[in-house]
Amino acid sequence: MLLPRFDYLEPQNLEAALELLAAHRDEAKILAGGTDLLVRMKKGLLKPKALISLKSLKGLSYIKEEDDGIRIGAGTCLADIISSKPIQEKARALFEACEKIGAITIQHHRGTIGGNILQDNRCHHYNQSDFYRSGRQACHKDGGKICYARENADRCNSTCQSDGATALMALGAKLVLISQEMERTVDLDQFYTADGIMPHAIESHELLKEIVIPINNAQSNYQRLAYRSAIDYPIVCAGVLLKPVDANKGQIEKARIVVGAMGRAPLFLAQESSSLEGKNLDDTEAFQKAAKKSRDNATPFAVHNVGSTLEYRCEMVAMIVLKALKEAALAVKDSNG
Amino acid sequence: MERIEITLNINGKPHEVKIYPNETLLDVLREKLDMTGAKESCGEGVCGSCTVQMDGKPVRSCLTLAMEARGAEIKTVEGLASEDELSTLQQSFIDHGAVQCGFCTPGMLMSADALLAENPKPDEKTIRKALAGNICRCTGYAKIVEAVAHGVHPQENCCDCKPKE
Repeated sequence: MLLPRFDYLEPQNLEAALELLAAHRDEAKILAGGTDLLVRMKKGLLKPKALISLKSLKGLSYIKEEDDGIRIGAGTCLADIISSKPIQEKARALFEACEKIGAITIQHHRGTIGGNILQDNRCHHYNQSDFYRSGRQACHKDGGKICYARENADRCNSTCQSDGATALMALGAKLVLISQEMERTVDLDQFYTADGIMPHAIESHELLKEIVIPINNAQSNYQRLAYRSAIDYPIVCAGVLLKPVDANKGQIEKARIVVGAMGRAPLFLAQESSSLEGKNLDDTEAFQKAAKKSRDNATPFAVHNVGSTLEYRCEMVAMIVLKALKEAALAVKDSNG
Repeated sequence: MERIEITLNINGKPHEVKIYPNETLLDVLREKLDMTGAKESCGEGVCGSCTVQMDGKPVRSCLTLAMEARGAEIKTVEGLASEDELSTLQQSFIDHGAVQCGFCTPGMLMSADALLAENPKPDEKTIRKALAGNICRCTGYAKIVEAVAHGVHPQENCCDCKPKE
């Protein structure tokens, strides 16, 4: 499969990259690992005039453990994250998510965490070849006015299937975005636009520089369901975080439940999360209740566009959330000794 | 879009080629350098038949621009055998009957070779995980896993492993 033509730009430092980005704006795309971008370009979904390669920007690849949290450079490859001790111990959900992304030989050495978060939303009516799409009217995401996933929908219903984003949202991560003029930090919770066509609140002249994961004595877990354990995107996934009370380690002080692959963005379920506050770590009934409510609240967001039936995916939300909660509770108990 | 002259280090030898920036490493290997070991099947990073190693790590050459491969040590399936002798892993594939139609084999070999360089005695689960990104449509996975397990360390009780001389 041939790639469309483009100019290949190779800035030697961050300033030069930002300058190029500011000059080209929407006409350029950032090339990090390319495992998602090049597939889209081969299918004719994207035709950027220029690609700005981050090949020479080695400074964007790092994992630093600091007092306030773990800082991960956006250009860090997934294999480095998987083998990082601080992430395995303090941000377990991210470790589990990265391990499950694609396959070792596809993404783990080339794919970057920044690319995983910023991957475009998917839909099995849209992520198809030029030839397939040429046989029917264009959908919203393709510049048309039709949605094949939901009848009479006035907007795009593509689904965010990023494993990394779901796990990071559960961990309460922040993103550091940098442009020529400024650097800003944004909560991952606030990073999504609820628009399937342009799902991320990032300007065309901005670059994702790093991801900051706050460290506290919380434990996290990530679970996903996919057709195959490798290669495939998740059809349902969930990330959870449980923080025990300092004085009483058996009690939950704060919880976060995030359900992914069900909507245009990973869904942070605030109500279900707060329903677990003050509950005991052994309180299976509370976990079951929260899992069922997660299913009820995630269901309206889902459309039939990532394979499997909608009913099955929705039912599985409860199961996946419950499994993640149980695993996280177990991890809290283990860390208490 | 202009042609650019680049140097690629493939199997220990530098190769100078003139390429367009939109050419993938796979295009350059197959079309310009006549190294047809790496195969194109899906062309979108799913099947694994185009797997090569860059700096010892298995990557998809169909999803790697040739421009991005500059400066890296690239190893293709042509680089496994030395002169007239197959590598022990390649011989193990033959001995265990792990090659059927053979189209996935170069990718399987490159993924397995990278695994064995890191972990010479992997268990079955590790092998299956390392090869999870390589698809064999003859579905001869059992033989492939066996061939990799005995790739570096032939086992006495395995009837397919050749006895050590």
